[in-house]
Amino acid sequence: MEITQNVEKGIACIAFKGRLDADTSPEADQTVKGVLAGDTNKLLFDLGALEYLSSAGLRVLLTAAKEIKRRDGKIVLCALNEFVKEIFEVSGFQSLIPITDSVESGLELLT
Amino acid sequence: MAANSSDTESILLVDDNPTNLQVLFQTLEGVQCKLLIAKDGESALTIAEKALPDLILLDIMMPGIDGYEVCSRLKANASTAYIPIIFLSALGETEDKVKGLQLGAVDYITKPFQPEEVIARVNTHLTIHRLKREVETQKDQLEHELEVVSLVQRRLLPKHLPEIAGFKLGVHYETSRYAGGDYYDIIELPDNGWGFLIADAEGHSAPAAVLMAMTCALFRALPSSAADPAEVLTYLNRHLCKVADPSFMTALYAVYDTNSATLKVARAGHPMPMIYRASEGKASEFVCDGVYPMGIEPYEQTVPITETTLEKGDRLLVYTDGLTERFNVDGSAYGEERLLQMLATNPIANPQEIIAAIMGDVEQFANGHPADDDQALLVGIVE
Repeated sequence: MEITQNVEKGIACIAFKGRLDADTSPEADQTVKGVLAGDTNKLLFDLGALEYLSSAGLRVLLTAAKEIKRRDGKIVLCALNEFVKEIFEVSGFQSLIPITDSVESGLELLT
Repeated sequence: MAANSSDTESILLVDDNPTNLQVLFQTLEGVQCKLLIAKDGESALTIAEKALPDLILLDIMMPGIDGYEVCSRLKANASTAYIPIIFLSALGETEDKVKGLQLGAVDYITKPFQPEEVIARVNTHLTIHRLKREVETQKDQLEHELEVVSLVQRRLLPKHLPEIAGFKLGVHYETSRYAGGDYYDIIELPDNGWGFLIADAEGHSAPAAVLMAMTCALFRALPSSAADPAEVLTYLNRHLCKVADPSFMTALYAVYDTNSATLKVARAGHPMPMIYRASEGKASEFVCDGVYPMGIEPYEQTVPITETTLEKGDRLLVYTDGLTERFNVDGSAYGEERLLQMLATNPIANPQEIIAAIMGDVEQFANGHPADDDQALLVGIVE
């Protein structure tokens, strides 16, 4: 899996490419923790290149969502492919974390 | 277990030349190890097997069986295979060294040697050997503990499937490591009702097993009737929220009323049930709204319940996603479609046989690729 991160207009953006599963989630978790080590309270996940998401991966996103919520911040997941979106919906997570179709609309939601 | 202190460690020195042996002996006297000596290959093998030294310094050119042969035989013997061997020889060609290392030696010292070099290398290999033993001991202990957890956990599952008039059951449960996060339970309700719980703690192994055990305890100690699926999940969630962080647990709870053949399902992040309708001759996912997994936050809304009526010959399947997300070497998953197919096409209306066919098909699909997650499934057939 490839992870890239950057900050855009005060919004921390993390992009995952490949598979977010039991093997790769520790690395993803580290990245998210690193980003949240600052006082970030706006977090955007770009999942446009995410092919697969397992429950361990869901946990990484959930942990981030909880932390952002604790800071009264905002979080959004963007550009999920059909497979990942379905996992997300079937698992009921869409009521906990908002999702948008594109990174642009995600950025709008956070600004 | 504490590391062996260095004074109980022993080194076997093997050389056919008494002068060489003596020089070696004097060189290593300061290492604070028990020093054993052998003057030929045969006695080296005997002593090694009896004393199981922590390190062997082995000469190559010896009358009778040479050092290479001694090394091969020690490596071929399970009780001595793990003992590190350092070759010590006047043969200094690269190919001699390579041959020695290929036979399983850890190092090679060329004679004439510098005492400091011998001491340094001996100390290094003794330390490596000691650390390796410690790691192995700890690994054994951990594995043993996980086995115990696994045993305890198996006892939490229902010992037998209940005999339900008009509804025949079958089940399969397996963990990917010793202990698992999957859980199923069946509870008898008043007025010929039955409750079926299937749940899957995020992750596997020990942490997931703890969450699974917690869910089991909560479920068995339900303060009210388990006849209302929404209430059951709300209750379990409220309590799991206090303990599950940062993990979570998906669950599905279904209540089947054998009088009216009605099924009520509530779902928390768990895969939807599958139902085969005998009248239609096909299987599909039983689409039901749900809430997010348990252990994250108390539910603010009422947990939705979806209801349906089953008929004679209908088949109900609930499962954990370790089954549909079982991967093969190519990285593709078993998937829901194939599972639906298996549920529908089996001509024999016996739950346990259907499960056997499904598991056989899953194994065939995985083609030897091991499961990364626990797998549980429960099948019920209306008779």
